[in-house]
Amino acid sequence: MAVDRRRLPAVGLPAALRFPAIERETLSNRVRFWTVDHREADLVSLVLLVPSGSAADPPGYEGLAAFTADLLDDGSRRRSGVDLHDELGRIGGRLGTDVTSDATVLSITALARHARAALSLLVELATEPRFDPEEVERVRALRISRIGQMRRVAAAVAERAFLRSVYGTHPYGHMPAGTQTALARMSIDDIRSFHAAHYVPERWTLIAAGGGDRAADRELASLVAEVAAPASPVRAADASGGIAVPRRLSAAGRLTFVPRPGAVQSEIRIGHVGIMRRVADYPAVMVTNMVLGGQFVSRLNLNLREAKGYTYGARTTFEGRRDEGPFTLQTAVDAAVTADAMREAVREIREIRDVRPVTEDELAVARPVLTSGYARNFETVGQVTHAAARLALFELPDDEYATFVSRVAAVDARAASGAASRRLDPEALRAVVVGPPDVASSLAAVGLGEPAEATVDEFFR
Amino acid sequence: MPAPIPHVKVTLDNGLDVIVHEDHNCPIVAVNLWYHVGSKNERPGRTGFAHLFEHLMFEGSAHHDSGYFRPLQEAGGTLNGSTSADRTNYWEVVPGGALERALWMESDRMGYLLPALTREKLDTQRDVVLNERRQSYENRPYGLASMTLMAAHYPPDHPYHWPVIGWPADVRAATLDDVRAFFATYYHPANASLAIAGDVDADDAIRAARAHFEEIPGGPPLPPVSAPPPGAGDRPSALLLEDRVESPRLYLGWVTPRLFGPRDAELDLAATVLAGGKSSRLYRALLQDRRLAIDVTAHQYSAEISGHFTVVATAAPGRKLAELEAVVSAEIAGLAADGPTAAELERARNLLEADSARQRQSVGGFGGRSDQLNLYNVYVGTPAYTEADFARYLQATPEGVAAAVRAELRPGSRVALSVVPAGRADAALPGSTPAETP
Repeated sequence: MAVDRRRLPAVGLPAALRFPAIERETLSNRVRFWTVDHREADLVSLVLLVPSGSAADPPGYEGLAAFTADLLDDGSRRRSGVDLHDELGRIGGRLGTDVTSDATVLSITALARHARAALSLLVELATEPRFDPEEVERVRALRISRIGQMRRVAAAVAERAFLRSVYGTHPYGHMPAGTQTALARMSIDDIRSFHAAHYVPERWTLIAAGGGDRAADRELASLVAEVAAPASPVRAADASGGIAVPRRLSAAGRLTFVPRPGAVQSEIRIGHVGIMRRVADYPAVMVTNMVLGGQFVSRLNLNLREAKGYTYGARTTFEGRRDEGPFTLQTAVDAAVTADAMREAVREIREIRDVRPVTEDELAVARPVLTSGYARNFETVGQVTHAAARLALFELPDDEYATFVSRVAAVDARAASGAASRRLDPEALRAVVVGPPDVASSLAAVGLGEPAEATVDEFFR
Repeated sequence: MPAPIPHVKVTLDNGLDVIVHEDHNCPIVAVNLWYHVGSKNERPGRTGFAHLFEHLMFEGSAHHDSGYFRPLQEAGGTLNGSTSADRTNYWEVVPGGALERALWMESDRMGYLLPALTREKLDTQRDVVLNERRQSYENRPYGLASMTLMAAHYPPDHPYHWPVIGWPADVRAATLDDVRAFFATYYHPANASLAIAGDVDADDAIRAARAHFEEIPGGPPLPPVSAPPPGAGDRPSALLLEDRVESPRLYLGWVTPRLFGPRDAELDLAATVLAGGKSSRLYRALLQDRRLAIDVTAHQYSAEISGHFTVVATAAPGRKLAELEAVVSAEIAGLAADGPTAAELERARNLLEADSARQRQSVGGFGGRSDQLNLYNVYVGTPAYTEADFARYLQATPEGVAAAVRAELRPGSRVALSVVPAGRADAALPGSTPAETP
């Protein structure tokens, strides 16, 4: 029977999300060991959360957390780096080493038939790094070269300049990779001290999912208790270093311009200090962001891409962190329309607060983007272990995921407008343009003051 | 070996293949639609067309003449599309209750795109594509390398000579008539394969597919794709490209057997032995033992007409590409002579098996189960190909890998491309000639 093409089919109610149960225990070595009841015949996923990331880099040592994490697989007390990777390959394992501002997350997904070997390997990597001087120099040289490579990527320049502009000397003011000068300065003792202070089993949350059944989980738990010895307790520094997030900086230098001769596009960042992940209005902020720039049919993308053809895409994000993370608008535009695009972008941020508040019609699109498809975020073993790690890192309640859908559904126009006026601040906006030198003269017209020129090297050397 | 993906397949009267896979673990359904058309079906002077067309598929059809994203995102779906040399795919992942809507949308643009097509839409998307080209290729370090290498591998009239994104002048020249002719030729049920996977009953899914797609007429047989032989001997085998990059990077490329062709799996294994992980041969030789490079990768890219084996390495500060080249050549020669060890082969197999298992955890998206089913169906004619696919890896032997490397990665059939910082042509491999800027 032919279908009715006069109207779109209605959408049935989505099935409720059931986040799999997490079984928690604190082992004799004080490791928090969580098993998530998500089964996957072929694979096991193991995640080790160390709640210290690049925000724990001491001033002048930007990049220390990431450098330390990078060295973990280059040799342990028992095995060389090559032998560690031979073992990783034998179990079909992929190692993830993810250093963000707030945390270092080590993970292995491997063939489920090798789950015990995967767990032993993960603990060995975290607790027994060799920090062999020759390997340290090799990896140091590599990381310094890679930072040099990033100098050529317009988006990488813009991201660094933006964080510097928004956060200044706050620990969120630099990228985890750090700078070349800081990397050159780090001694093996600095690395050993960082490792000793932060990679303490007492501070870990170790999470497992996949594989067979509870019995297999029990075996893994006893293995962790056996292999991860409690260290002598060393108190690590507070993740944010106790420096206040700068809410508003002076109007001077609000607009940074980094010339990039020969560039065909301008890479643009606009934003300010945003939210902590734990804030109570997190669902309202997410909904408002969807309307503003969080999806393809957002105001920002419809304007800059679809209506004007300035860009391949434009979007906004609120990155919730342990401390207040950035609100960022990002796009790359045809260089000739740089100032026009920025004016439009700032206008969208300004107008959603009062001139054109979020409408019920827009909410009807934005809320379901966050809710109806929410289940997709919990499909694979790696997704559920990493989701559980975020509960631990941000100290979120157990029902965070299960109740998210209903909390978003409750966001009405008033709540969205409240979030827009609380969390967006046009007067606090700071902007970065990385583009060809000849766009500089057009930037004063954006309305963010005279551009202050910076060089690429300032953010990498 | 990954478990086969259970499924049913029916072919509608108009030629559309419908494949359904049930999995009730997560309350979502994936819709994945392949059209067997890509940039290989274009002709010189009209390149970039398949991809530009993909953009237009998101701009509205006769019964829903506005953006494609909104009704599906509103329903909680995520969606995307992509174009390769060989095929164009479109997918949605939606909550179970929105399957009908996804099928309605896909069928409306398969059956009724042209009435909603306007010059304005074409003009806008042409600008978007030109911006995509700038962002993803021209403004990105080393972004022009792959298309330069492909252009060097194949003569100008070979369908793999030009890049999927197209030559800018061709993209600018695309007309509405071109769009209409392209749609009529390639976008019809007989040239498509629809996979539905996830939290759905198979009978319901087939019924819904029939209801939405059966009314669309099947199309004409496809014009043949003619592929002249690659690499005539008179073309330069060492090229250089000056770019806004920090360090010189070496690309070594070979034209190799096609996807699922003889030696394709052995070359996958060889690539993993050479550069899969930090205990691989090239990683150890280039990054650990001699510190000549800061990164190295090797891949067998398997495509429909032929494959491409590529080794890419970036020089460490102060090192010369010739030094890197010598090490890569020696390692390839070593693998050609002796093959991998039994332990290396086991590792490579386990890594490839686990990678595949990781991809197949998802029902939808690029590389998910619905995409896999379509890949098999479109390229080998049956979705039931998991076992045959992986048997190739299980049956591979060290001698077989060595033989594949000997036969396919010959020094004489290689194209070397040096990408060097602007003004540093001297940093290229000796004897390199400037590549035409794509």
